[in-house]
Amino acid sequence: MMRRVLLLLPGLAFVASLASGGEREHGAAPGRDCGVPRELVEDEPRLPGLAERLHAKQPVVITVIGGGSTAGAAAGGPANAYPHWLEAALRRRHPQAQITVINLGIARQTTEDMVQRFAAEIYPSRPNLVIWETGTVDAVRGTDIDDFTAALESGIAALREHNSEVMLVDMQYNSGTASVINFEPYLDALHQVADLHDVYLFRRFDIMRYWSAEGMFDFVDVSKENRAALAAEVYECLGENLAEAVDFAAQ
Amino acid sequence: MAGPVPEGGRDVRLDFFRGLSLIFIFIDHIPENFLSYFTVRSIAFNDAAEIFIFISGYTAALVYGRSLRQSGALLATAQIYRRVWQLYVAHIFLFVIFTAEVSYTLIAIQSPMYAEELGVGDFLQAPHIAIIRALLLDFQPPFLDILPLYIVLLGCFPPVLLALEKYPLVPVCVSAALYALTLARGWALHTYPADHTWFFNPLAWQFLFVIGASLGYAAVDEHHVSRVPTWLSRLAAVIAAGVAVISLSWTLHWVFDPFPPLLAKQLWNHTIDKTNLTPLRLISFLALAASVVHFVKRDNAFLEWRATRAIVVCGKHSLYVFCLGILLSVLGHFILTEFYGGIGTEIAVNLAGIALMIGAAALFEWFKAASRRPRHAAGPVPATPSE
Repeated sequence: MMRRVLLLLPGLAFVASLASGGEREHGAAPGRDCGVPRELVEDEPRLPGLAERLHAKQPVVITVIGGGSTAGAAAGGPANAYPHWLEAALRRRHPQAQITVINLGIARQTTEDMVQRFAAEIYPSRPNLVIWETGTVDAVRGTDIDDFTAALESGIAALREHNSEVMLVDMQYNSGTASVINFEPYLDALHQVADLHDVYLFRRFDIMRYWSAEGMFDFVDVSKENRAALAAEVYECLGENLAEAVDFAAQ
Repeated sequence: MAGPVPEGGRDVRLDFFRGLSLIFIFIDHIPENFLSYFTVRSIAFNDAAEIFIFISGYTAALVYGRSLRQSGALLATAQIYRRVWQLYVAHIFLFVIFTAEVSYTLIAIQSPMYAEELGVGDFLQAPHIAIIRALLLDFQPPFLDILPLYIVLLGCFPPVLLALEKYPLVPVCVSAALYALTLARGWALHTYPADHTWFFNPLAWQFLFVIGASLGYAAVDEHHVSRVPTWLSRLAAVIAAGVAVISLSWTLHWVFDPFPPLLAKQLWNHTIDKTNLTPLRLISFLALAASVVHFVKRDNAFLEWRATRAIVVCGKHSLYVFCLGILLSVLGHFILTEFYGGIGTEIAVNLAGIALMIGAAALFEWFKAASRRPRHAAGPVPATPSE
């Protein structure tokens, strides 16, 4: 239920930005204002392991596992997906560090499906940080909320056992899909699990809703040819804000 | 869903709390609604669905139990099935409107960015199958899941009613056993598409309905709610208060992070399974219900307040108000996403929805009363069926 209070944020943030004259400038990708209120990007638990490696300028491996929106097919594939932009933004921010972001997004997978892939696809590369984007397919299919929660908890525990730090990414927001899919129980569960297990949660849903309320990306009037380009812009902004979140957590 | 007026005088509390649950369901069905902080789920592990199903079981036994006594099993069964038919028609009506909305929305979105989300629109690929599945209650889009549960529960109700007449304790024992087996064995009813299950598992939720029915049937004779022993009321009040403190601490934690969520690590996992009416939700609801019965007597002065009367009228016409509430929450969500205006708009949308629900209920009430009144000397106009 935590999520609902954030609905107030766009209004509050607007007032705050008037007062401070520029709360939102962080997270700006080159050439576009992707800014969102700090509250939407900053979360509690820090990532001390990652911080140490970045500080010591040691190589960093980040694995992003997720669904179709991680794979980025809508923007033409992984080269335009948000993990790619995350890598670009982190390299820009830490020119001396050797940062690699691996994209393991596959469309239409449930949380349980992804956990099944951990052993073969994640553990061997020993990532320092695993960013786990999930929940959409479970909400669409109506997975038992109990099973969803259990899969999420077992996945987090398994990743930590293999010495990876974990960050969760919740669903995409779109006013149309939000009215036909009952996301709320899954969002609540995802946020609850993050809270109970001290996992940094990247609030993609709230960030995209904020953009939607601000009218930042217009999907209604865009022509068919320009849709992929627009999707790439959204992913770029997401990658930029995700980099901001990773940086914040790794201070 | 209201029946004929009981001879012993109507227990207005049933209408009031059912009306309240309908308003809560409307509020909770608007995604991300700020006002759902103020519904029952903020102070209990259960939400309005439990209230609705329990009171529905209670009134079903009260109304059809009386009918069974007066007119026999055949007529009582026929009345139950007339009601099932009304519920079924209402459900299909909602389904058609929902399908119209989904088709429109999904075709309007069309962005490949939401390919996964649009999986929900798979049924648009095979509408001929989806519609037949919907007629069989096999396909249940989100938010259209309470009525199918109610239809199945009421459809199976005649034998329960006959058993209540002969052996008052047998139904609840059988029902408890079925509930326990369902939880232990993980039984579920599957729906279309193949990997989906009923959001409200009838095999679990029947227990709450039968508990309500058993208590309601006892009230047929006694003209009042069965007396709860004092120690049980006290125990219930203690449990309800404990649950309220824990639940409220979770709610506050979400609003204000430093506030500690009490026992969240131990309990939260066991409160989320609404599909199978997890025992903590059931206990939370029963404790709350017993406390309310204890502290709010049927002659309580607040039941006469104007604001209370408005909610009572909603509870009296619960089927219509329920359907309207479902449509209004869809519409309310649409307005909030299209014309976002912050907390002010949100409160306005909620209040407008509640006002429309109350207004419609008042209209039904007027219509029912006016239709009963004989006009001139032309003889009585046939009354509209009251359930």
